Amino acid sequence: MPQRFGGPCSVPDPSKPGAAVRRARRRLVSLRRAQHRLAEPAGLPELHGGIAENHEGDARAGAADQDVPTVDDAASVEPAASGVGKLRRAFLHPGKGQVIAAAILLLVGMAGVMQIKINTADATYSGARREDLIQLLDGLGAQSRRLESEIAELEQTRTSLKSGADSGRTARDAVRKQVQDLSILAGTVPAQGLGIRMRISDPGGRVNAEVLLDAVEELRDAGAEVIEINDTVRIVASSWFGQDGQGGLLVDGASVTRPITIEAIGDPHALEEAAQFRGGIVSEIEGPRISGHVQIEKPDPVAIDSLHATNENQYARPASAAPTPR
Amino acid sequence: MIPLIGLLVGIVLGLAFEPSIPQALQPYLPIAIVAAMDALFGAFRAYLEGTFTDRVFVVSFISNVLIAAAIVYVGDQIGVGSQLATGVVVVLGIRIFTNAAAIRRALFRA
Repeated sequence: MPQRFGGPCSVPDPSKPGAAVRRARRRLVSLRRAQHRLAEPAGLPELHGGIAENHEGDARAGAADQDVPTVDDAASVEPAASGVGKLRRAFLHPGKGQVIAAAILLLVGMAGVMQIKINTADATYSGARREDLIQLLDGLGAQSRRLESEIAELEQTRTSLKSGADSGRTARDAVRKQVQDLSILAGTVPAQGLGIRMRISDPGGRVNAEVLLDAVEELRDAGAEVIEINDTVRIVASSWFGQDGQGGLLVDGASVTRPITIEAIGDPHALEEAAQFRGGIVSEIEGPRISGHVQIEKPDPVAIDSLHATNENQYARPASAAPTPR
Repeated sequence: MIPLIGLLVGIVLGLAFEPSIPQALQPYLPIAIVAAMDALFGAFRAYLEGTFTDRVFVVSFISNVLIAAAIVYVGDQIGVGSQLATGVVVVLGIRIFTNAAAIRRALFRA
């Protein structure tokens, strides 16, 4: 078989007699195969179409070595013992080809592991192509635009809710302030602030209810906001002044002992002036008719602790709903 | 035997050292691996049929890998990269299956 040595890669290496022997053995096998096929000329035609195209590729790896090229199609139906025996032989007697195959398998194994790593590490984006990435980016951009418009909407809602809450709080504050003012006016809460304390000593007992009412009205005219008599009686809108049979003073049903102390919260200067102007309450009391004595001091603050007990209105009702405080 | 050891060593090396390839080459690695598998199956089949030559094996391996990667690269440049990659994988897959069928017949005669 001289023609098989003509192949470029099959020149036997004289330094490796083992290779020559193997090659000869291989020849023998393929000759046997050919013999086989000649013995059954009609052998397995259905295989021809199926595997014929294999030989365009790497299956032809050893084509130059093949002394009978037409043997290709039958090669796949060689006896099992042949293929398994080859494997066993290859296991026992490794050659140069196996080393090369090992090197290439090493490369493939490494590449495969790398690829698997890349895939598992970032399967989504690293292997993606540019147009896929652009599409992804477009999708994300549209999504973010949608979300931004949603954010704007929600912020608007929040602003409106907040302003609503603000106006609600303003209204509540106004109501609370009004309640405080009214409570002070109605005498249901203690009060304190700048003001005057007027002590009226009246040894003759000649200060009567009218004089006391005059004094209170003078103070009210001067802007007194809260007035208290003798630290016990809070003067409110419905307070009344009177006298019992023995010449004792009554305010709101409580007797007022002498000396009388009137405390008033308001502008201290205006209150003092109102009490002391000529013909006012001080000159009346210190005048010859009563000949008492009035002493005015301006403590800071004037504290008024007595309260007026309010009675529930029995007949009067608000004519309409309470006006919305502004 | 030796090829199996080579494969195992390759896997172990890849796991142990975690080599990284340049970002630009990453899209072509899977294609190259499929091409390499095709070349390996072809070589095994040729070996079982007694037509194996290591030189042809090496040349066909390298050229297969390079051509497969080059086809996909060119496809990427002209905008049909994913389609060409699919085509290459389909063709190589068909070849792998026919090679595997031939190997099966050679080994088990079935």
